[in-house]
Amino acid sequence: MSAQNLVETHNLTKQYGKVRCVNAVNLQVPAGAIYGFLGPNGAGKSTTLKMILGLARPTAGNITLFGTPVHEKNRIRLLSQTGSLIESPSYYGHLTGEENLRIIQTLKGCSVKDIDKVLKIVRLDGARQKLVNHYSLGMKQRLGLAAALLGFPRLLILDEPTNGLDPAGIQEMRELIRSLPGTYGMTILVSSHLLSEIDQMADHLGIIRKGELVYQNTLESLHSHAVSRIALRVSHTDMAMDMLRQDGIKISSEDDYLLFPMMEDSYVANLCRRLIAQNISLYRIEKREKSLEDIFLSLTGKETSL
Amino acid sequence: MITLKTEFQKIKRRKIGLTIFALLGMQFAWILWTAKSANEKDPTQGWLNLLHTLPLLNVIMMPTIMAVLASRLSDLEHKGNTYKLLRTLRRPGILFNAKVLCGLLYTGIISVIQVSFLLALGYSQHYAGAPDMYYYMLTFILEFACCFSLYLLQLNLSLLFFNQMIPLVVGLCGSLLGLVLMYIKMYSFLPWGGFLSCALVGMDWNVETRVVTYFYREHSTVELCAVGMVFIWIVIFYVTGRIAFTRKEV
Repeated sequence: MSAQNLVETHNLTKQYGKVRCVNAVNLQVPAGAIYGFLGPNGAGKSTTLKMILGLARPTAGNITLFGTPVHEKNRIRLLSQTGSLIESPSYYGHLTGEENLRIIQTLKGCSVKDIDKVLKIVRLDGARQKLVNHYSLGMKQRLGLAAALLGFPRLLILDEPTNGLDPAGIQEMRELIRSLPGTYGMTILVSSHLLSEIDQMADHLGIIRKGELVYQNTLESLHSHAVSRIALRVSHTDMAMDMLRQDGIKISSEDDYLLFPMMEDSYVANLCRRLIAQNISLYRIEKREKSLEDIFLSLTGKETSL
Repeated sequence: MITLKTEFQKIKRRKIGLTIFALLGMQFAWILWTAKSANEKDPTQGWLNLLHTLPLLNVIMMPTIMAVLASRLSDLEHKGNTYKLLRTLRRPGILFNAKVLCGLLYTGIISVIQVSFLLALGYSQHYAGAPDMYYYMLTFILEFACCFSLYLLQLNLSLLFFNQMIPLVVGLCGSLLGLVLMYIKMYSFLPWGGFLSCALVGMDWNVETRVVTYFYREHSTVELCAVGMVFIWIVIFYVTGRIAFTRKEV
């Protein structure tokens, strides 16, 4: 167990009948991170988060929260340092926003003053006396986030928090989530099926596909794979490779192509002249781009919808 | 206690009390009508008549009233998808206990009001003699137990099903079954027949003279078992309901 990880799962598995929804997932959420849990619809994101929160029982594997293995007896104590918003927000429609938060505040045992603070954070202080049934979907979602923020927990688990929001609401929610680690020292585990959303919000990333965690690292690391390269196809690959190596360029080969990082136009022009001077025929010179989306699709499978 | 406190915070504006008392009001109007006619015939039988009428009306009305009560306390959780939040704050067993205790308080208040109403009615009608408080207290305890067993049954159904029509239909069917059981005048081991098994006063109607005489029943061993069954139902419904609620994934 790494001391820096607030959440760790070890071979976490969930099976419904013969269907294995989550298969041996080893999640590692570092302290202070915004961990984006990305995957297509039905990949097993919500089920994994529900198991972490004790809402679903794992078929196999175990969970560690704040460095302590979770079991039935200490689950609620550990979760007292956690706020959550799973799928749609939980609320009592016949009560006002403030009355809803009062119930959660009573159960969490935090200060009444926190209600004012979280209502201001999610910008619902003007609608605190309004019945939640009269709230818009965006307001309900913000109320759900306010409930999760009550007591200012160390860990926030948010499952598709921008679902059903309009573009302005999505932007607002995203900025709010992004500000929480810096302002309140929270660690955030947020799931989404939208790559662009996670790309703009998270600094760590886990990609789940058909119940299996296919990638886990920093977002920066994923971005490093998303670089443009030059692909070269020549008559004498070995000679061209030697020439490039002598220039100190890192090269790799793929099929009949030599791949090397993007270079200045002048270098590429000079390289072509040198290749021809050495009687090496130049068949193809192409720019290869691998976008973040390409990487995501190669990890999750192109057949899945985003 | 904190979880129980939140149960009462949740039901603000739900007008649960008003709904229940409206249904009880119908029951009291019925009792008032029978009480007046009883007093005209023989005021000495008045106190016994009241103890006889209450279980008969409860067997018809209480399954429905308890279904309404349990449904009103549970549907707010289904509508708002609240258990996926509440279960991260409290153990499911504690959340279930809070619902049980909330219903226990309501059924207790209902039973107190019912017995108080009978006593107030008897005095206002100037029935001869004084009420036998032992039997009135015993009636309170037994009616309370019967109501609570039905509440637990309905609570389990209301928590199990998102669609509250299912438990409400079960409640209505329970009322109809109670009516049938009343006509065939048999004690019953079924949860809906508990009121009849627990009735402390019997009635003898002389066909020739057409005179009704009430008397304190002496329960046979089988009838006493039927009374005991009410308490066994309470245990069964509580244990099965709690296990089902705790194991349910949200």
